[in-house]
Amino acid sequence: MPYPEEMVAPMRAELTSFGVQELRTAEEVDAFFADKTGTAIILVNSVCGCAAGSARPALKSAVGEAVRPTRVATVFAGQDLEATARARELIGDVPPSSPSMALLKDGELVHFLPRHMIEGRDAQSIAADLTAAFAEYC
Amino acid sequence: MGTFHDTTDPLHGITVVAEAGDIVYVGRCHARENGTIVLLDVDQHSEGEDGKTNQEYLERAAKFGVWKKHEKLVLSADEVNSLVPLSEHFKRPGEPGAKPAVAEAEVTLEAAVAAPAPQALATLEPLTATAEAPIQLTDAAASEVVRLLSEENIDGQGLRLAVSGGGCSGLVYNVEFDQEKAGDIVVAFEGFKVFLDRKSTIYLRGVTLDHQKGLSGKGFQFHNPNASNTCGCGESFSV
Repeated sequence: MPYPEEMVAPMRAELTSFGVQELRTAEEVDAFFADKTGTAIILVNSVCGCAAGSARPALKSAVGEAVRPTRVATVFAGQDLEATARARELIGDVPPSSPSMALLKDGELVHFLPRHMIEGRDAQSIAADLTAAFAEYC
Repeated sequence: MGTFHDTTDPLHGITVVAEAGDIVYVGRCHARENGTIVLLDVDQHSEGEDGKTNQEYLERAAKFGVWKKHEKLVLSADEVNSLVPLSEHFKRPGEPGAKPAVAEAEVTLEAAVAAPAPQALATLEPLTATAEAPIQLTDAAASEVVRLLSEENIDGQGLRLAVSGGGCSGLVYNVEFDQEKAGDIVVAFEGFKVFLDRKSTIYLRGVTLDHQKGLSGKGFQFHNPNASNTCGCGESFSV
């Protein structure tokens, strides 16, 4: 069952505050994925403090660098269920985990950061991994 | 910000690889106590299974994660040769052996709508109901499906299992007889086929459909290892 919206609102705002596009419906996800030009990163957000609590600031840090994806979006696992399911369907046949991050280039998945590469790590380490991936693919 | 765990074990909540002889287990470490290691949301792989070495399996697991086979597994610490975070197998871009995310993960919007089967299930022929099929039916459920198809005299249709939003826990199961549709994942059982749309398959993977007869029986019942909450009637769940 989703958490109360007032509880997760700050976790949403932590992303939208630096320009991340929230995809809250399957239709919004379809529209985002329909644009296959350039690079995009999608964060599957989560309430988990030991993982998503670091993932969000890591993403903020990484997309603040010069080399970064053109577009940045997020879906919220456990909260926006259909949007998350649709995003996972379009990202590809990868096991669902949250938080996680998918880097797309020209509509194709080129790099994936599953939960186990986020949990228990600090934001700086995660941001370094993202920055390295951006340097490779963006 | 968020929910946190109350423990001092550094591996608590961390996805680990437990090697026990020729078998590797990948799951979240929940506890290490009394000579046991408790893992949650666990997958396992034996050397050579599906034509892959354990090393090849772990490389993919490290890149994408795993599809769980067990909700919980208790291992004897004596049998575990090694217990390390799965992240140690992750190869970063630029590291030797690192490759881009493989093409089998490629799914465009058009492909999702027109829906050929995902690469991992890439076949135009129905899947056989083996242990590796995305869903399983108990003998009781399969018998009931065959009986209903015969009684209702339904030709050319199969059993559609699907998930849609709703219910007290967020998602509900749908069971109906239906025609095969473009993009369906088809699993062939003896005497009938099961159709799964690709979106529902994400939530139904690992599910077992059972059937309970009689006045006190509940009819078709879903057993879902992925469900984190299930309502009392069993019809609604969340992940």
